[in-house]
Amino acid sequence: MSVKNWQLKRDMDYPYPEARPKKQWAIVFDLNKCIACQTCTLACKTTWTSARGQEYMFWNNVETKPYGGYPLAWDLRVLEKLGRQDWAKNGSYAGKTIFEAAPPSERAVHFNPTDEDWMYPNVGEDDCAGGPVGAGGAAMSALPHDKWFFYLPRTCAHCTYPACLAACPRKAIYKRAEDGIVLIDQSRCKGYGECVRACPYKKSMYNPYTRVSEKCVGCYPAVEQGIQPQCVVNCIGKIRVMGFINPPWAARDDNPVDYLVHKKGLALPYYPQLGLEPNIYYIPPIHADREYLAQMFGPRVDDAIKAYQGIARDKTAQALMVLMGSTDRIIHRFAAEKDQAVAFNEVGTEIARVPITEPVIDRPAFDERLGAVRNNTP
Amino acid sequence: MRTLLLSLLSASTAFAQGELSAPLVKADLSKPDPAAAVWKSAPAPLSVSLMGQPMVTPRPEATTTSELKVQAVHDGTRVAFRLTWKDDGVDEAGVLGTFSDAAALQFPVGNSDTPPPVMMGGKDQPVHIFHWRAQYQRDAEKGKPTPKDLYPNLNVDMYPMEFHDMGSLGRKPDDNRDQFSPGRATGNPQAYSKTGVDEIIAEGFSTSSVQEGHGSAGKATWANGEWSLVITRPLKSEGGSVLNPGGKSFVAFAVWQGGKKEVGSRKCLTMAWTPLSLGK
Repeated sequence: MSVKNWQLKRDMDYPYPEARPKKQWAIVFDLNKCIACQTCTLACKTTWTSARGQEYMFWNNVETKPYGGYPLAWDLRVLEKLGRQDWAKNGSYAGKTIFEAAPPSERAVHFNPTDEDWMYPNVGEDDCAGGPVGAGGAAMSALPHDKWFFYLPRTCAHCTYPACLAACPRKAIYKRAEDGIVLIDQSRCKGYGECVRACPYKKSMYNPYTRVSEKCVGCYPAVEQGIQPQCVVNCIGKIRVMGFINPPWAARDDNPVDYLVHKKGLALPYYPQLGLEPNIYYIPPIHADREYLAQMFGPRVDDAIKAYQGIARDKTAQALMVLMGSTDRIIHRFAAEKDQAVAFNEVGTEIARVPITEPVIDRPAFDERLGAVRNNTP
Repeated sequence: MRTLLLSLLSASTAFAQGELSAPLVKADLSKPDPAAAVWKSAPAPLSVSLMGQPMVTPRPEATTTSELKVQAVHDGTRVAFRLTWKDDGVDEAGVLGTFSDAAALQFPVGNSDTPPPVMMGGKDQPVHIFHWRAQYQRDAEKGKPTPKDLYPNLNVDMYPMEFHDMGSLGRKPDDNRDQFSPGRATGNPQAYSKTGVDEIIAEGFSTSSVQEGHGSAGKATWANGEWSLVITRPLKSEGGSVLNPGGKSFVAFAVWQGGKKEVGSRKCLTMAWTPLSLGK
């Protein structure tokens, strides 16, 4: 069946007809701010995956690119099966998606991870790329650094065209019409692992104790109450915002996710060429290798970085950036009012108000009024 | 599509299957035993041809099990089938990315001259499936493996709701234990210890649903590159397949080789029903 994939700027093959949800769950991550503290990972772990058979599971993980991957090299091992992944001049994808590249016996081209592949969730952490260390000394010894790496936090992308859903021979996976969250029916799944094989992002995971597959549930019980997921609200770096994204033809400039993705082009889907229309979006890191970033985020990565570097001159964009992490409620609309950023919920009630620029307060070491020296020791 | 047609053409050789007769015997068929004496005196095994499931994706790229040898007997209340097929080794699944050896018998629900579609039945044309897995047999013989059984070096501080002392929460440790195991909390039969054979009713692809057991049992042994499996079931089961002494019905077969990563729709099966006649 032919469906519209706006991230590829073209139609593509998918086993089921296009059925966009009323609202689509989405997270935007600012990769320039992620420090791989793994607070998101642990927030998710303690909320959802602390039982038997889930020991190895990280529905949210943070890996170090380019070398890290959970499971091992998940991205390279599916990309290598796609063939050439060229983008046409007009921005449309000229290569094949995982559905289009599938052999007749499969619903999606894939690699099937082994047990060992899951056992190194943070391999390559802080490893730098850019040439042999021996040739130029330690990677960190020179400024500017001639080596690069960045952290990539990942959840399920609750794709518009999920490969897990496409591959399930039991039709035990469904995408909710109300918020686009993709769930595995825990009472119907028989643990064939077809979703584990087919999801190119490897965000379906088999539970060897319950013998059924599980995945990130988008924290739907929170989302149903207008609250952002655990990995978002626990992010100490305030690098994330969860909201609802519209397709570009229905985008609203005052919707935080639409603004970042469609209006400003700051945030990009990752590995859009796989063809799933994933709904986690990244503000790409400004300092990493551009060719690598283009492979991961597509042809608009240079524009996104340029836009990011221009935020300092854009009060609306700044307003949104300071609202990230300023409320645990889902922001449906935001605005810059004078020097303040304001967020509203679905019915238009104000849920957060923060200064766009924090006031600078100069506190001299010697307090004249008290005649005492201040120090930072509590 | 071309591949599918080719598959179907090559399947034509698999369409013609002989008839399987299950004579009435005096034997205790309640305990499945591939080495029981009854199989030595039973009619010689019927050879049935299998091929890689060709109809729906995902499917196997090649036929891994091409032949199954079958015997059948009944004792007036139960019928037993003995299946043998070649498989390089024993695969019981367990850790991630591993799959179990398995085999299944399929019967029509209701005895009409025209049986349901041979592949999992059809809408309002249900089939009754008896699905044996090496993994399920392991459950029955050694208990359902814990993560520690699967990963001996595993170390976990604690699992939620499994504290010895729940303190002020005041609940017994067993209460809510499955709260964090969604497969178990939703009562998915897959998540509980198995007896060896799952009974399944299906009305077409992707509709199979595990039923409460009707008293079927299975036991297999593996030796010299071959599985020998006996599945025994009551002749009559409420809401399921009913076989009558002196009557005729149909049976179909499927085999999964876990070592070749076969599971679900990745299987080898008979492309036509095998006529089944029961002795009086």
